[in-house]
Amino acid sequence: MKVDPILLSVYARSFKSITDEMSISMTRTTRSPILCEAKDYVTGLYDAEGRMLEQTENLPILAFSLAPVCKYIRSYFGDDIHPGDVIFHNDVFSLGNQNNDVAVYKPVFFEGELVAWTAVKGHQADIGGAVAGGYNPNAVEVWQEALRIPPVKVYEKGKLRKDVWDLIFANIRFDIVQHDMKAEIGACRVGEARVVELLKKYGRQSFDTHKRALFEATRKMMEAEIATIPNGTYKGEGSIYYDGRHPGSEFKVRVTITVEDNRIKFDYSDTDAQSNGFVNGTFTSSASATILTLLQMVNPDIPHNEGMVEPIEIVIPQGTILNAGYPKATTFGNHLCPPNADAIQRALAPVLPDRVTAGWNNLLCSLTTGIDPLKNERYVDIGFMGLKGGSGAMRGTDGYDHIGMIDASGGVLDQDYEMFEQQTPHRLIKHEYLSDSAGAGQWRGGLGVETIFEIGSDDTQFVTFGDGDFEPAFGLFGGGPGTLNFIRLTYPDGTEHTPRNKDLITGVPKGTRYHQQAGGGGGYGDPKARDRAKLKEEIRDGVISEDAARRLYGL
Amino acid sequence: MDLKVGIDVGGTFTDFIVAGHGGEPLIHKILSTPHDPSIAVIEGLRELGAMIAPDMPFDKFIASVGTIVHGTTVTTNATLTHTGARSAMLTTRGVRDALEMRRGIRERQYDNRYTNVPPLVPRYLRAGIGGRLDRTGAEVEPLSLDDIRKAVALFKAEKVEAVSICFMNSFANPDHERAAAELVRRELPDAYLTVSSALLPTIRFYERVSTTALNSYVGPKLNRYLDRLVVNLQDVGFTGILLIMQSNGGVMAPQVAREKAALTLLSGPAGGPAAGLFYAQAHGVDRCITTDMGGTSFEASVSFGTPAVVNDGEIARHKIALPMLDIHTIGAGGGSIGWLDEGGMLRMGPQSAGAAPGPACYGRGGTLPAVTDANLVLGYFDPDYFAGGKMKLDVAAARTAIETHIAKPMKLSVEAAAAGMYRVACNNMAQGVREVTITRGYDPREFPLIAAGGAGPIHSCLICSELEIPLQIVPRSSSVLCAFGMLLSELKHDFVRTFVQRFDAIDWPRLQTMLADMKSEGDHILADEHIPPARRRFVVRFDCRYAKQYHEVSFVVPLAAIESRNGTAIARDFHAEHARLYGYSLEGEETPIELINVRLQAVGATEDHGHAKRPYDSDSADHALKGRRSVYVPETGKFQEVPIYDGHALRHGNRIAGPALIETITTVILVSAHFDCVVDCYGSFAIYRRGREELVQTYLRKAQAEVLA
Repeated sequence: MKVDPILLSVYARSFKSITDEMSISMTRTTRSPILCEAKDYVTGLYDAEGRMLEQTENLPILAFSLAPVCKYIRSYFGDDIHPGDVIFHNDVFSLGNQNNDVAVYKPVFFEGELVAWTAVKGHQADIGGAVAGGYNPNAVEVWQEALRIPPVKVYEKGKLRKDVWDLIFANIRFDIVQHDMKAEIGACRVGEARVVELLKKYGRQSFDTHKRALFEATRKMMEAEIATIPNGTYKGEGSIYYDGRHPGSEFKVRVTITVEDNRIKFDYSDTDAQSNGFVNGTFTSSASATILTLLQMVNPDIPHNEGMVEPIEIVIPQGTILNAGYPKATTFGNHLCPPNADAIQRALAPVLPDRVTAGWNNLLCSLTTGIDPLKNERYVDIGFMGLKGGSGAMRGTDGYDHIGMIDASGGVLDQDYEMFEQQTPHRLIKHEYLSDSAGAGQWRGGLGVETIFEIGSDDTQFVTFGDGDFEPAFGLFGGGPGTLNFIRLTYPDGTEHTPRNKDLITGVPKGTRYHQQAGGGGGYGDPKARDRAKLKEEIRDGVISEDAARRLYGL
Repeated sequence: MDLKVGIDVGGTFTDFIVAGHGGEPLIHKILSTPHDPSIAVIEGLRELGAMIAPDMPFDKFIASVGTIVHGTTVTTNATLTHTGARSAMLTTRGVRDALEMRRGIRERQYDNRYTNVPPLVPRYLRAGIGGRLDRTGAEVEPLSLDDIRKAVALFKAEKVEAVSICFMNSFANPDHERAAAELVRRELPDAYLTVSSALLPTIRFYERVSTTALNSYVGPKLNRYLDRLVVNLQDVGFTGILLIMQSNGGVMAPQVAREKAALTLLSGPAGGPAAGLFYAQAHGVDRCITTDMGGTSFEASVSFGTPAVVNDGEIARHKIALPMLDIHTIGAGGGSIGWLDEGGMLRMGPQSAGAAPGPACYGRGGTLPAVTDANLVLGYFDPDYFAGGKMKLDVAAARTAIETHIAKPMKLSVEAAAAGMYRVACNNMAQGVREVTITRGYDPREFPLIAAGGAGPIHSCLICSELEIPLQIVPRSSSVLCAFGMLLSELKHDFVRTFVQRFDAIDWPRLQTMLADMKSEGDHILADEHIPPARRRFVVRFDCRYAKQYHEVSFVVPLAAIESRNGTAIARDFHAEHARLYGYSLEGEETPIELINVRLQAVGATEDHGHAKRPYDSDSADHALKGRRSVYVPETGKFQEVPIYDGHALRHGNRIAGPALIETITTVILVSAHFDCVVDCYGSFAIYRRGREELVQTYLRKAQAEVLA
């Protein structure tokens, strides 16, 4: 069958609208704020063999594990895949990226044959293990952090396997997780119906032919992008501070990037060994980090399918901190994206000065739980508004203010302030841009934010997880660094406590002040060359102080 | 004569439609005057006068105009081009950046060159004010009038034109905002002021702060425009009623628009859905998908009994939480340019050639291939009968543009490339229709598609094939659909209160008091607009959700159910709507329902100015046949000689078998190979999938019977 170049565009657009529709379905029906407010999920469409056809990547760090897992599920079940099956998966030792990111896969059949898969993966509010919400800084083995779900059918041939369902949810704390998993299944069904419609219209043969052509066209696009990077070998490094168990511990991510014409290889063989804590990556979380960083250096409109990833080779030896061996704890793995991205930006800066950014603010997050006395109900709140610092500047463009870590790139949203006060007993005192947080530069880094709230009930518990309190986002080509992250609690009696960047604080009393700063991004180029009119506006607006303007910008 | 005139001021054209002069509604179009849109309004009225009553002096004619309904893009453009008022804001100390942060979103995640939108109020004019209410509305810290005085002194020095006030938790208690407003009014009497608890007393701080700031941002500009318009109309002797089209599909008096200027952000296209519904009702259905293809954009909306409404819209990346018609706009119009991406795949739009330089075939210097160029190469436009022959089209220029930019690089013939552009454009539009139907839980196949716009009906058969929609209706007023909608629109005023309650324990007396308050506000405004009680009606909606969900479902609640305090019946409607939208409900489970917002819409009925029904004429369309031409037939992928009909000569009942082309001065219609067409009682063209004649049969039989009787 010949490829119809026009129909090819129609397929590409249709695939995108399918995964978008699945995404809307998720936003509207899920309950955990991590999903419906922060959109910590990805929806995707894959061919029968599990190759990526399209994805809607609200949170890119989850995105590039869906296709590998799809292929794994395909081979795991072999011939035992039927219409009406619904499969769950989160297992990090079979290509999952993070324990909390639980995926649903639904095979799509047409005329009796398996033709595609729809999938949704979202961050669940709880996944069992020792600590509610999953972030257990004391964990050293996977069982201390989560329930492992290797591929398992929760529906078989359209029939719910109630025993399996009950087994899973008997091991998960919050009831909303059940509802949110139902929402994931619902979104997969939405996608399935649309794929079948498409096949009815154009037929199996046309679908297959054009799918291949789409991979091919996208691969060429990606190859053309890579070909613009000079051939050579480039090295870069990023740092990880504290494994959650050994104060003062530090690890390096080291990447060697080799560009040869239209292929690119990322080799992490020189990276430090895995930690004896939960600060460990999985292969797919680390590979996602690599891909999403590279994607920010190429045409942002490149379609996301198998063709896009084909020219990219990623080597991460097992046993390194980016790819921990069985049965290590790995919940922190998604958050090793920032040092990984740092290593890549630093490596490519000399050859791609127009496309790299300076360092982004690293994540430092807190998760708050307690009982709301007004409703006498338990709540869980992830402090999205507090964790979102600034992005790194690039040549010609300032960093983006209050965007958050690079692995989300502005895809994760603040809680609404009034909703925050409805859902928790706390009262927001401050959430504003942090003056002088942006790394100075001809193009400045994005601004960080300052968050203060007053704890409204006794016995509140905090889990902190993150980094960026030892090393600020780096500047490039004369640009200055951003500011550091911190979280501090001021108890009603005036004593202060600064938790570690991976910590558990219990029994926090009512009236305590929570204070957090998320730092700014790194600057790019000599600050003295910054546009003076812009600088004066920023002084007027109070985001750069007169003192800093004099000192750093020479005004 | 008591004339009613609908006037839709667009970017390129100002559209007019007049009813009440005895004949069919009369259509007129003139070029817009963007520097002062009211000039084209007056000029167009003059030309209309000359058309309708050539012997009557203009002041006599204008005195016979009883009502003008006006749609404007003044506020839309001010927002899109960032040219609104110099604005300032009073907000709660500690959260003054919420407006600019937009909750920290970057819409294009992989694009590091994508920057934030400039804030509607610069940071130094966003003053944080001491004083705090808690989540229940109780005061935690008294309002600092000193802070306000200091801020106002700055605003004065900075010569701000507009101020907005939005404090934390004011949805639960407006006292602080009211006190602040009083002070601002005293100190800055000339500033345009918006108070969040008066405009939109609902929960969600970012949505409210953004909506409030938008209102202040566009308020002064709208006021100046209305001043000019009113004076210009008075100067020429207009003494009738001027009504302004608002985003919710209703109309309002200018004095309401002055205060709630943000209600006009969708004023331009808001007439379309009601017009679409009018044409659908001729076929005995109360639902439709209305589409309107213009020069740069394609708009789609769905009506189910009434046009669909959203409460969480967006304009230029700013949130607006006032109820607006759910009109989805994509960059696909006649001017949309075709291009090849890096992978060599054909894309259409969103870049548009606009009116200048325009598509290559306009011969005004455009060299890039646009949808119109493709349509010309495919034979859909007669180069000598474009706009009734007022404008000659350059076929050679169109071919060159397509050949250079599409055909050669794709190794296709010019015709095949043009056909590709046409198909991709249609597919984009079909996806736009999906957005308002499938993603909102509607099956498009159950709706007739209203295909409007001068070139829209060239594309609608393929769009319908794509979505398996069996019936489409090309309205008689296809080229001025929105203006026509303005003739039909009623006065509509929305009120809302956040009232967070568990459904199984609603405080009914409080709810009823709240509704009575909103109703009396509505009565008050409608009385000001001279609507007698008999012509007023009220629609109540609840926004509810299952406990712990974050997004609410809005649904109509019968007044009777509230009076009888029938929570069970209301809950049943909520479950049903949730199931319709998202494919499941939790009816029968333990999960409680939460009420979040109570909404009331006060509607004032106006006189109906639709088309008169025409008597049934005959089946044959032969009398309107004006020639044959070779055109591209999408179903076969080949060029074929097809009959061309003069749309102006076609009458009720005339039938045309596809493939065929129907031309009027302002609209071209392709009846493609798998479709047939029959002219309906309004003179609209009902195009149905061959074999699905039953879709138009019932009403045809009725019409014939009426004639025979």
